[in-house]
Amino acid sequence: MDKKKTAVQDIDRTVYDIKDKVDASYQVEGGLTPKIVSEISDQKDDPVWMREFRQKSLAIYNKIPEPNWGPSLDGLDMSRIITYIRPKTPMRGNWAQVPDDIKNTFERLGIPEAERKSLAGVGAQYDSEIVYHNVREEVKRQGVVYTDMESAIRDPKLAPMVRKHFMKLVPPTDHKFVALHGAVWSGGSFVYVPPHVKVDIPLQSYFRLNAPGAGQFEHTLIILGEGADLHFIEGCSAPKYNVANLHAGCVELYVAKNARLRYSTIENWSKNMYNLNTKRALVEEGGTVEWVSGSFGSHVSYLYPMSILKGENSRMEFTGITFAGKGQNLDTGAKVVHAAPHTYSNINTKSISKDGGVCTYRSSVEILPEAYGCRSNVNCESLMLDDQSRSDTIPVMDIRNDDVDVGHEAKIGRISDDAIFYLMSRGISEADAKAMIVTGFAEPIAKELPVEYAVEMNNLIKLEMEGAIG
Amino acid sequence: MTMNFALKNVNALPTPTWNRLGINDTNLEVGDAVFAPYSSNPLSALPDGVSVSPLPFPKADTETGMGRDAADFVLANRTYGLSLRTEAGIRVAEPVKLEFRLDGENPALADAVDISAEENSEITVVMSYRSDAGFTGFHGGLTRLYAEKGAVIHLVQVQLLGETCTHFDNVGAFAEEGGTIDIIQTEIGGKAAASGVKTRLDGEKSSLIMDTIYFGDGNRSVDMNYVAEHIGRKTKSEIHVTGALLDESEKTFRGTIDFVRGSKRAVGHESEYNLLFSPKVRNRTAPLILCAEDDVEGQHAASTGKIGENTLFYLMSRGLSELEAKKLMIEAQFRPVTDRIPDESLRSAVMETVQGRLSGLESME
Repeated sequence: MDKKKTAVQDIDRTVYDIKDKVDASYQVEGGLTPKIVSEISDQKDDPVWMREFRQKSLAIYNKIPEPNWGPSLDGLDMSRIITYIRPKTPMRGNWAQVPDDIKNTFERLGIPEAERKSLAGVGAQYDSEIVYHNVREEVKRQGVVYTDMESAIRDPKLAPMVRKHFMKLVPPTDHKFVALHGAVWSGGSFVYVPPHVKVDIPLQSYFRLNAPGAGQFEHTLIILGEGADLHFIEGCSAPKYNVANLHAGCVELYVAKNARLRYSTIENWSKNMYNLNTKRALVEEGGTVEWVSGSFGSHVSYLYPMSILKGENSRMEFTGITFAGKGQNLDTGAKVVHAAPHTYSNINTKSISKDGGVCTYRSSVEILPEAYGCRSNVNCESLMLDDQSRSDTIPVMDIRNDDVDVGHEAKIGRISDDAIFYLMSRGISEADAKAMIVTGFAEPIAKELPVEYAVEMNNLIKLEMEGAIG
Repeated sequence: MTMNFALKNVNALPTPTWNRLGINDTNLEVGDAVFAPYSSNPLSALPDGVSVSPLPFPKADTETGMGRDAADFVLANRTYGLSLRTEAGIRVAEPVKLEFRLDGENPALADAVDISAEENSEITVVMSYRSDAGFTGFHGGLTRLYAEKGAVIHLVQVQLLGETCTHFDNVGAFAEEGGTIDIIQTEIGGKAAASGVKTRLDGEKSSLIMDTIYFGDGNRSVDMNYVAEHIGRKTKSEIHVTGALLDESEKTFRGTIDFVRGSKRAVGHESEYNLLFSPKVRNRTAPLILCAEDDVEGQHAASTGKIGENTLFYLMSRGLSELEAKKLMIEAQFRPVTDRIPDESLRSAVMETVQGRLSGLESME
């Protein structure tokens, strides 16, 4: 007898898919040449060191081959990607001054409302440039700096700090697409939290890519002073076009002694997006980095936030969920390097594949020879909703001393018939039982998300059940 | 014929990951080996029901764990070859023994052994590799298994080579409906040892049981690549690896459960337990689950670390020295696997070798 499968609906993308007319004040031609990179420098009035840095990165980009592992990048034709599009507005500190079409986009995404309700500061990027940046007065008074990268580079007080840290943690030599980022990066946020300052409510940057065939290459640099505490939220979306778009952002997080940083991301790029993003944190003694990562969008993703536990007793926690539907190949996971004694890492991920979607969980846990007394735990679970989809688990552990406690658990399967039977024996319909189980599967991740994102995620995994399931 | 080269990119992960980690495959130095026909007879008297088969191996294109190059290397330099077969319906309990020794007469061994079990038959083959003390030799093996409908093949490979030997075991297995492949590998010796096992669970309800123990000391390295390919419905794989690393030894384990679309109701379990005894060891693990089928159950668990303080404290409170307690823990870990070796003398040889090597622990105290 044919089994009737439960239909789990695709994510409703209506809000994200509304396209604005592309009204750029300036855009470079498609492709990548020293001339284009130099034009970007001209447009941004780069200081000399940045001009040189961009050209050097371009040279590295041309030398490094594409990765020989991971999802296919055949659909990505760099000669057609527009690397820089400046929207027709300067950066504003007041939504009223942002042009209506751009403002409406962010209104639809709920950003200004969230800012009023629950955020300490907001940055909003539209295509290549930040169009809005604002931070609450009381947070500013604590000495917290939250601004766009370009302003930080030009600010005489901040410039030395930026130059000292910019792409030092993630050098352009790391891989091909971070070299690309070094050459054409634009926009993004700079955050500095002074020592012992705790920012009670989160800061949020939202990245919106509107133009078809374009790339977004924002750079996020966050520096926490000793004992500082911050929650930073990043959101991304784009409308769906029939041409490939590219996102190759870079996030560098410096977590000083005893500081704590939580970095939450809900990525919901459209399904024509190649999301080749690089994120890395350097954690000093007693510091903590917590990653919360939800990957729902994109056609192809390569995303593995990395934590380098450099100081003794530093910690990392990674909580991630990936949901791949039709036409999606999402290769996600985490990397951690235990470079100091008594460091701790905990990776907990869930992935769901449906309608021919491909999820790959990929990770590495490295414990260096001098890093004794370390503990690491990895737990990854995958759920297959049909037999057209695919889910691979590719973890690596490399342990170079004996004084460690390393555990790894992986599980894969579908919704258990027993669990459905049990719930049904309690009077719950089969459809509701399935819905409960899938929601329960994602719940440990949902509870780590900020409330408004948890709601968004619940909408994203909205279930629609039909008929009986065998 | 004199050979001096390395096998490149063997034991490759079925799906590669970051090159930086150096775990996608490995190279094995073969060194300066002279291949000549094996000069003595390693084969015990054949038990009733087992015969040397004149027939070609039923599936010549059977894939192996280490890959094509390692298989071709053995076939090109073969110094010993054997093809064993059991007839339909005959279940043979008594093991066939193949005992190889590397010495002045046989410094390099390349053995190709095929084992086929006809429908509903059963065969056990025990292969062991040893060398003269201090002798530097080479062993490379290709072992192919074919289990017809309902047949059971038990393969036991015990590697107790001296600490300067190079060794590899390249195994490929194929199971028809209800067929069982049951493999025990003990990787105890050699300077550099590699082993790869790929099993294609082709028929419905076919199964793989794989138990491995490894032991590393000095600056030895062990590199393993196991792949269980689930093709048929209701296929089952159990891969369990346990071992200990001392001194500056290194171990790499790649274990893949591959659920191919159509392998409905398949179940794959894999576990790995590593005990570490020195700050200079290196333990690498890549436990993959590849899945293109929803109606399956796959699980992997790994645990790596020192012997727990509590366990140690408990054993020492019962009057054991720290060294004795550690020896006991390793023995407890290996015993369930060694107990399944159907040869008393080989069973004790494994434990004696391990116990002897463990005396190295004393110097660490």
